[in-house]
Amino acid sequence: MNFGFNEEQKSLGETVAQLLGDYPSLLAPDPAEGRDLSVWNALAELGLFSLLVPEDHGGVGLSLVDIALAVETLGAGLAPSIIASTLIATDIIVRFGTEQQRAELLPRIDAGEIRISTAVLEAGQGYHPDMVQTLTGGNGITGTKILVPDADIADYFLILARVDGRPGLVLAQREARGVSMRPHDDIDPSCGLHELRFDGAALSEGAFLGHKTAQDAVSRFYDVAATVHAGLQIGISAHMLDVSVDYAGTRVQFGKPIGSFQAVKHRCADMAVAVEAGRSAAYYAFWAVAEDVPDRSRASSMAKAYCGEVARNACSEAIQIHGGMGFTWELGLHRFLRRANVLEHAFGNHVWHYERVMSETLASHVGAGEADRDAA
Amino acid sequence: MDFNYTPEEVRFRKDLREWLEDALPEGWGKTAFEPEDEYDRAMFRLEWERKLHSGGWSGINWPREYGGRGATLIERAIFAEEMARVRAPEGLNIIGHNLAGPTILRHGTEEQKKRFLPTIISSDEVWCQGFSEPNAGSDLASVRMRAVRKGDKFIVNGQKIWTSYAQYSQWCFALVRTDPDAPKHKGLSFLLIDMSSPGISIRPLRQISGECEFNETFFDDVEVPAENIVGDINDGWRIAMTTLAYERGPEDALGRQVRFKQELDKLIASTITIQADKGRAIDDPVTRQKLARSVVEVELMRLNAVRTFSKYLSGEDRGPDASVIKLYWSHAAQRMYESALDILGPLAPVSGDDPLAVAGGRFQLSYLQSRAFTIYSGSSEIQRNIIGERMLGLPR
Repeated sequence: MNFGFNEEQKSLGETVAQLLGDYPSLLAPDPAEGRDLSVWNALAELGLFSLLVPEDHGGVGLSLVDIALAVETLGAGLAPSIIASTLIATDIIVRFGTEQQRAELLPRIDAGEIRISTAVLEAGQGYHPDMVQTLTGGNGITGTKILVPDADIADYFLILARVDGRPGLVLAQREARGVSMRPHDDIDPSCGLHELRFDGAALSEGAFLGHKTAQDAVSRFYDVAATVHAGLQIGISAHMLDVSVDYAGTRVQFGKPIGSFQAVKHRCADMAVAVEAGRSAAYYAFWAVAEDVPDRSRASSMAKAYCGEVARNACSEAIQIHGGMGFTWELGLHRFLRRANVLEHAFGNHVWHYERVMSETLASHVGAGEADRDAA
Repeated sequence: MDFNYTPEEVRFRKDLREWLEDALPEGWGKTAFEPEDEYDRAMFRLEWERKLHSGGWSGINWPREYGGRGATLIERAIFAEEMARVRAPEGLNIIGHNLAGPTILRHGTEEQKKRFLPTIISSDEVWCQGFSEPNAGSDLASVRMRAVRKGDKFIVNGQKIWTSYAQYSQWCFALVRTDPDAPKHKGLSFLLIDMSSPGISIRPLRQISGECEFNETFFDDVEVPAENIVGDINDGWRIAMTTLAYERGPEDALGRQVRFKQELDKLIASTITIQADKGRAIDDPVTRQKLARSVVEVELMRLNAVRTFSKYLSGEDRGPDASVIKLYWSHAAQRMYESALDILGPLAPVSGDDPLAVAGGRFQLSYLQSRAFTIYSGSSEIQRNIIGERMLGLPR
């Protein structure tokens, strides 16, 4: 047993961080300017999208653990949402795609040619996949999805929809007839959130993912997405800690750096503890989804619930520590608070995931969780 | 990163599990429990520790040459998990195992290691900690207890406070002032004191919970052989920092996590029978949120510890990460016990021997005890200073 990352994994995280650093517009105070999609090409050139693609389809064949630190960096750098959603979709296509779907999609994902967004939530519903109303049938799909990230620049949508009456996963192309969208007016315009309408939109033959194991596919989709979101959230949190510590160490009031005052220093210390605990949760979830262990759902919900709270608090603390500057538009801390809120409500907020932790805990009876873990 | 266990680790777990099946008292946790009386309970725990030792399950990751098992830190983590699984009794010589042993192992002379480590591992000698004084709490470096070198002895005079288990201890490690004229951190030494020495008296202190686990300990012209100093004279602060790193570190946290996990499991089980206004407590959404938070936080205590073990195994030094671990578990555990009383509803105040007390009143007792978590081993405020200054580099 080893709960550390190896040199390659660390180096990937650092490389992605450096690359994002070349795109300062991502952190621009105006969220609309922060939607710099040119970073996609740079990340594709770096090979980010080939990492999860198996070797027999031309990829590198790495696991979610290998990209965990890179995902954290994507969070800290406010990278476009379509990057994370494409990585999430890649995992699902690798695990649940038919041979034909894999052969058709994975080489193009590997090359960075296709961008995949996720279409899950619907108006008038909560977070639970069982409540989905969007319907498939007669080679088409009908329904309305909300908060679909970067929908306008996606090539495909990975959609949660009823398939044969049950929640399942469907891939549809943006260019298909019967697909329309409108941009949301929302808290973080850099996410490119859209309402997406399917009016009997055409589905190709190979649109259904994990057709025969729909429940497993949906469950894994939520777990992988929750884990990746937890990674993004902890990236934001760690960055908020860093900027707060930098500021507290240099900003002088009463003749001293404010970080020398315990009222500020202790806030920073509490943030550091929360970030470390959040990392423990997130990294364990990355391992659990990568290895597909029986503890997977509980682990990913623990991470999403906990890191969601950590991220929101970290953003609020950072703004507080920066005082009046923290509240300004131009310093840009609000970008992280905005993004953290969008991430919090994607794939279940912390309340939803705590509830899921509880039902998973009760379902496995008290203490049986470890038996699974040990068996893993 | 790999949470899978090696064949050796799997084997370690299997051997321990088999041993435990025979070693635990018959009906343990069902019909057999720890004695209620405080002294009897202490002796029961001591017997259990000695039994662990007789089976080779003590000093898990200490070197074999001093009587340890020579296992890895990961196996030590497995040991803690297995103790949790069977809800094993706690030990009494916790300070010996977690603090005295590691400090002597790191800084002691070969003679000291040979003299003290085997009897800590066997729990033939129980240890207590002489750090805090009435005027040296968070400001530990201002301890005043004097030790004056006379020939081949130190003559020790002064008072220590919050000395847990002093009444059961054969040995005490103490931070004493050997140079009152030096700056306060530079006039301290670290002594090992035989508790049967003439001139030592102990006065129990009753705690918030009504128990008397800790004490005031008075030293009146106590003679300590000069060879019982750990490290050099006036170098005691450096030695004490090692002790504190272990006191707050992952080994300690894992042992505690075992107990918190047991109590959380018991709490969850209790909510299935406790009635609330709209049915069972376990079906109440607010209760479920509180329980889930504690499920997550107790699991994160374990993961934090294991992640820190992995850092040590890859060669990183022990540092302020111990404060992160301690600050985390102490507050998380307090939240858990606060939630426990919330969840018990109208029965929350009913404790101890009352026939209506839920789970034998354990949650009320633990709730009271938990107030100490954020004070001892360095208060949360001290931990935050350490994290802020040494980990984050903020100015003093």
